[in-house]
Amino acid sequence: MIMRSGEQLLLPVNPLYLWGSLLAALMFNMLQSTLFGRAAWPPDVLALALVFWVIHQPLRVGVGTAFVFGLCMDVHQGALLGQHAFAYTALSFFAITISRRLLWYSIPSQALQIFPLLAGAHALQLAVRLLAGNSFPGWGFLITPVLEALLWPVVTFILLAPQMRAPDPDANRPL
Amino acid sequence: MPLGTLDRSPPPFFKQGQSAFSKLMVFSAVALFLMAADTRFKLTGPIRVAVATALYPVQWLVMRPIEMVRGGGAYFVTLSDAQQAQRDAEKRLANQSQRAAQVELLGLENDRLRNLLALKERTSTPAQAAQVVYDAADPFTRRVMVDKGSVQGIKSGSPVMDEAGVLGQVTRVYPLSSEVTLLIDRDHTIPVLNTRTGARSVVYGDPSVHGGTLELRFMAGNADVQQGDILTTSGVDGVYPPGMPVARVDKVERRADSAFAKITCQPLANTLGARHVMILEPFSVQIPVVPGMDSAQAAPKKGAKK
Repeated sequence: MIMRSGEQLLLPVNPLYLWGSLLAALMFNMLQSTLFGRAAWPPDVLALALVFWVIHQPLRVGVGTAFVFGLCMDVHQGALLGQHAFAYTALSFFAITISRRLLWYSIPSQALQIFPLLAGAHALQLAVRLLAGNSFPGWGFLITPVLEALLWPVVTFILLAPQMRAPDPDANRPL
Repeated sequence: MPLGTLDRSPPPFFKQGQSAFSKLMVFSAVALFLMAADTRFKLTGPIRVAVATALYPVQWLVMRPIEMVRGGGAYFVTLSDAQQAQRDAEKRLANQSQRAAQVELLGLENDRLRNLLALKERTSTPAQAAQVVYDAADPFTRRVMVDKGSVQGIKSGSPVMDEAGVLGQVTRVYPLSSEVTLLIDRDHTIPVLNTRTGARSVVYGDPSVHGGTLELRFMAGNADVQQGDILTTSGVDGVYPPGMPVARVDKVERRADSAFAKITCQPLANTLGARHVMILEPFSVQIPVVPGMDSAQAAPKKGAKK
C-alpha cells in the first residue's frame, strides 16, 4: 500500500495484549452470566473481541482460536458442547472474508456491516438449540446483536488504544 | 481508509497455512460431531471435565469480586433489620420445634408399627449441604451450578432439595462443581404422589417461555385433583426418597374438548433464588438388589431424567 503523508501509523500489536484481551473478554462473559443469570439479552463480548482481532490481525487470530474459545464458553455455560464453537467458527470465517474491505469504512459504518454477522451467529445458536429440543429462550435475545453492534466503536477504541500510542513518547506525548 | 500498521516483519508471502474456508469446514465438522456426541451418544463427558478443570481458576478469579460485594453488603445491614431477621428465625424455630417433637414420637411409633407388621425399616438418606454459585448462563435450559463436585463425592443423578422441597437433580458432575437441572426445566420429570388422594402421577417442567411452573400431565378430565393439593415424591423412581414435598396444585382446567385436565402446579422449592441446598444420595443406591434383577435395577435411574 502506498503511504500517504500526514496519516497515522499503528504500532505493531503486542501479542500479550491480544491474548490478554481475549481472556479478559471470556472473563467478562463469565461475570455477566453470574450477574444476569440465564438472561438472553447480555451482549457476547467474547464474540465481539474475536471478530475485532480476526479483522485486524487475521494472521494471528483465526478460525481455530474462535473454535477453542467457543468450546470454553460451552463448558462454562453448560450449553450443548459445540454450540458456541460452531457459531464462533462461522462468525470468524465471515469476519475473515470481509476483513480486507471492512477497514476502509468509518467506524459506525463498520458496526452496521458487523451486525448481520453477529445476528447470524445468534440465529445459528438458536437454530441448533431448537433442533436439539430445548426451549425457546424468550424474546430478549433479539436485542443482543443490536447491543453488540452498538458496542463495536467501544471495542475498537479499547482494543486499538495501545497501537494508537505515539511511537516515540516525549514530554508532549507521554502515551 | 485503513490505518497502516508499523509491523517489524513483513507478512509471510507463501506460508499462509490452510485457507480459511478449509478451516471452517474442519472446525464446523468437529463442532457438529461434538453436538451430536453430546445429545445422542453422551460421549463428551471427559472433554467437558477437562475443559471445566482448565477453566476453574478463571471462574474462581471472576467470582472473587462478586463474593466480596455480596459479603461486603452484609456489613451494611441496620440493627433493626438484623433483630427482625433474628425474631423471624426464632418464630420459625418455635413452630418447627413443635413439629420436630412430634416427629420423634411418630418415628418411634412408625418403627413399632412397622415391626408389628414385619415391614422393612425405612432408610434414611445421607445428604451434603452445598451452595448455589450461579445460574448456568445457558438461556435455553433451567440449571444452576453448585460448589460441590465429584471430589466431594457427588454423583450424577442425585436429588437436590432446599428447605422447602425438591429443587432438582444433579445432571453433570465436574471435579469441583456440579450442575443441577431444576424441576422447572422443560426436560425434567419427577414422579409424584398426591398426598390428599394417594394417586400417583408424573410432573413435567413447563415448556413455555417464562413458565417457572410445573405441569401435571395425563390426568383424566374427571380425576380427583383440587387446587391446593400438595404433591410429594412417590419414591417409585428409585431416585428421589419418598415423601419429599415437590409442588402445590395451582390451577385445574377441565376442558370439554380434551380427555385430560390441564393442571398447573407451583414448585414449593425456591427455584429462582435458592442459595443453600442439600444434595441427597440417589435412592436407588440404598435399595437392596433383588437377586437376578441386576439389569432392571439400572433402568429406573435413567428413566427418571428423561
